[in-house]
Amino acid sequence: MSTEGPINLKQDRRQWLKTSATVLGASLLPLPAMPSEVAQAETAPGTAQTKPGETKSAARFFTPAQHTLVEELSETIIPADSHSGGAKAAQVADYIEQALRETVDNSQKSVWRDGLRLIDLMSQHYNGKSFVDSSSDERIAVLTVLSDNDHMTDLPEVRFFRDLKGLTVRGYYTSKIGIDDELEYRGNRMLTEYVGCDDPTPKSR
Amino acid sequence: MDRKEANGVMRMHGESSRMAESGIDPKKTYDAVVVGSGAAGGMAAHVLTIHGLQVLLLEAGKKLPIEQELRSMQWPYDNAYRGALPPDHASITFNEYTIRRPPYGAGLEKTKHLHSYVGSTDYVKNIVVDERENPYTGTNYAWVRARCLGGKTNIWGRLALRLSDYDFKAKSRDGYGENWPISYSDLAPYYDKVDLYLGITGVKENLPYLPDSIFQRPTKLNCAEVTLKQSLQKMGRTLTQYRAGVTSDGLKHNQYRSQCFGRGACERKGGCDIHAAFDSPTGLIYPAMDTGNLALRTNAVVREVTIDAQTGKASGVHFVDSETMKDYTVRARVVLVAASTLESARLLLLSKSRLYPNGLANSSGHVGHNFCEHIMGPGVVGLAQDLVGKPSTLDDGRPGGFYLTRFRNLAEKHPKFIRGYGFEGGSGARMFPEGTDRHGFGASFKEEVRRNEGAYISMGAFGEVLARYENYVDLDPVVKDKWGIPALRFHYNFGDNEHRMAEDMKETAQEMFEAAGFKTVHVSSRVLTEGWSIHELGTARMGSDPKTSVLNQFQQSHDVKNLFVVDGSAFVNASCQNPTWTIMSLCWRSCDYLADELGKGNL
Repeated sequence: MSTEGPINLKQDRRQWLKTSATVLGASLLPLPAMPSEVAQAETAPGTAQTKPGETKSAARFFTPAQHTLVEELSETIIPADSHSGGAKAAQVADYIEQALRETVDNSQKSVWRDGLRLIDLMSQHYNGKSFVDSSSDERIAVLTVLSDNDHMTDLPEVRFFRDLKGLTVRGYYTSKIGIDDELEYRGNRMLTEYVGCDDPTPKSR
Repeated sequence: MDRKEANGVMRMHGESSRMAESGIDPKKTYDAVVVGSGAAGGMAAHVLTIHGLQVLLLEAGKKLPIEQELRSMQWPYDNAYRGALPPDHASITFNEYTIRRPPYGAGLEKTKHLHSYVGSTDYVKNIVVDERENPYTGTNYAWVRARCLGGKTNIWGRLALRLSDYDFKAKSRDGYGENWPISYSDLAPYYDKVDLYLGITGVKENLPYLPDSIFQRPTKLNCAEVTLKQSLQKMGRTLTQYRAGVTSDGLKHNQYRSQCFGRGACERKGGCDIHAAFDSPTGLIYPAMDTGNLALRTNAVVREVTIDAQTGKASGVHFVDSETMKDYTVRARVVLVAASTLESARLLLLSKSRLYPNGLANSSGHVGHNFCEHIMGPGVVGLAQDLVGKPSTLDDGRPGGFYLTRFRNLAEKHPKFIRGYGFEGGSGARMFPEGTDRHGFGASFKEEVRRNEGAYISMGAFGEVLARYENYVDLDPVVKDKWGIPALRFHYNFGDNEHRMAEDMKETAQEMFEAAGFKTVHVSSRVLTEGWSIHELGTARMGSDPKTSVLNQFQQSHDVKNLFVVDGSAFVNASCQNPTWTIMSLCWRSCDYLADELGKGNL
């Protein structure tokens, strides 16, 4: 993929939408209004009475294939590196699954249903294969298009990217891996005396 | 509830009988009935029961199992929603406060429960009220209410500051508004009492405009904060440790509170479940129960202060049980209103009678007026670049970061506005990192968040909103709350002085961070919705002239001698310092006077 500068998403998307307009319908046009809900048997939402943590008994929001896709998407947002595990290890996809299953915000559900399909359309367009089948660099290329255009909040794929990033960040940095391994957070423990700093100039602690 | 108890009053007396219950005797006349159990109501209960009076304390909300709500040591991954609200709850955002008009429930029907902006976590959701049950109308206002035993003291920000004669005698300095009917010297002994009884941490600075308290062991500043402090010293400005209403050394006289042991994510919006931070129940109400002189009734929504038509004096209150909707009447020799500034004004306005057609204590027409608070929003986020990439530090095991004291309109006169503002701020690593709203994703995003964690420093301003007669609340003629009680209607906006001050806040914040060598990450110039500071004040102001004030210097109604309004509504101006410590000191002083007057037969 070209590295000559950011891609203009609004120009590009015409091409990759053209190929699949019949599949997607009108819901993926730029929207002042929220995307209409697309009925989908496998994504019947969990009921509001679902108790937290009872993931097994409740209807799941993601199909197994979608769950795998969300795992790879979240790992692309926050990858494992030499310092600590990434979103996959922190089971961020499970966190997102619960959030979407339990939310009463139907527009958020629509953003995710549409977004997951748009991601694969983009991946086909830019990389010639599905997101999950793409290499790490190819995955980064697709999300870079969205990140570079993340001000275009009228586009459903941008809305999806922003929510994906927000939930991934929240899920990751509230996980044990995020808190202990990545940030090495040292608080929430007994402290006889707060250490503080008497003079920052000689040496920074 | 105990079957013996007709009215279901809960009487707490020491640890063993905390849950024991007793009733309101409908034939009994209490020495005093106190409406509201927050900072003011708790203090009134404490002082009056020490004086040996038989006191009934009424709270509109319930007694929550508060430690189970706050869970300040809980790791987010052990919480079903990682600390966020459950799906059937929502809180109002800044954007929604801006684009919608009260009552805010309309248009936000997606969730079963709707809370003010403070009710945005699983730890606070049951402490703040459900907006739909408690509507209000009029101008935009972020009204934060906590109906439960202890009220907002369960979740307050803990910054405990004194006022000075720069505030009490502000009119003498700049000609605006009214002076308070008291001086600092009148209140200083009571500030001392509050310091010693409740505990406060801080460092002496000897500032005439921000008097020192009797401090317990202070917390320390961290490196970026010290850098800022040293830089400010060159500018003649003062940054001091957060003066927190927290006991760092413990309180031998109070068995319900622990000293601070630096545990817990204290920066998390919420309360302190070891009660090192002051809250009204453990700090004031439970000790008051141990005197044997206090009866407590929760779920008691007071709708009217009743009047003896012959004497014109207050005779007690009517309340409705928030759960059963049943009505009750209680009788008392003295009525103390401590329902919070806006709720107290509402109650006085609701208490209309043939004798008092404009509402109780309102012959001046000033009840609900002169409504003031603190303006918030302008502030700055910076990065202490020498800390970037350094090993993780422990920064949040303390009740607060720093307070940057007022510097405007002290010795010199600012050309564009009167009065002053201070900044609250802090630096260092947090359980949930700063900077995740940065652009991008992937390996570099992750690394940047990690490297910058702990290097962020930020502060936000709190400035005095002038008390103006034109800023007021009254009763809505149509809208009622869940209990059929007329809702409050707001007529309240920031004025030119506030907006000019906000402009200055933004500029000085940025200048001070740049002077300290911090890299500016974000400068905020937007003013937050009216009400955001949760420091509403002034709706029943004190004064020596009954024509222009509601209360005398002892928070006693000019019109009705046995009626006292002992919360923030008595303030004559807002100053720029946080009000809780002053509310409690004033209340203590007034209750000493009340007990004395009652003993003399003057009430």
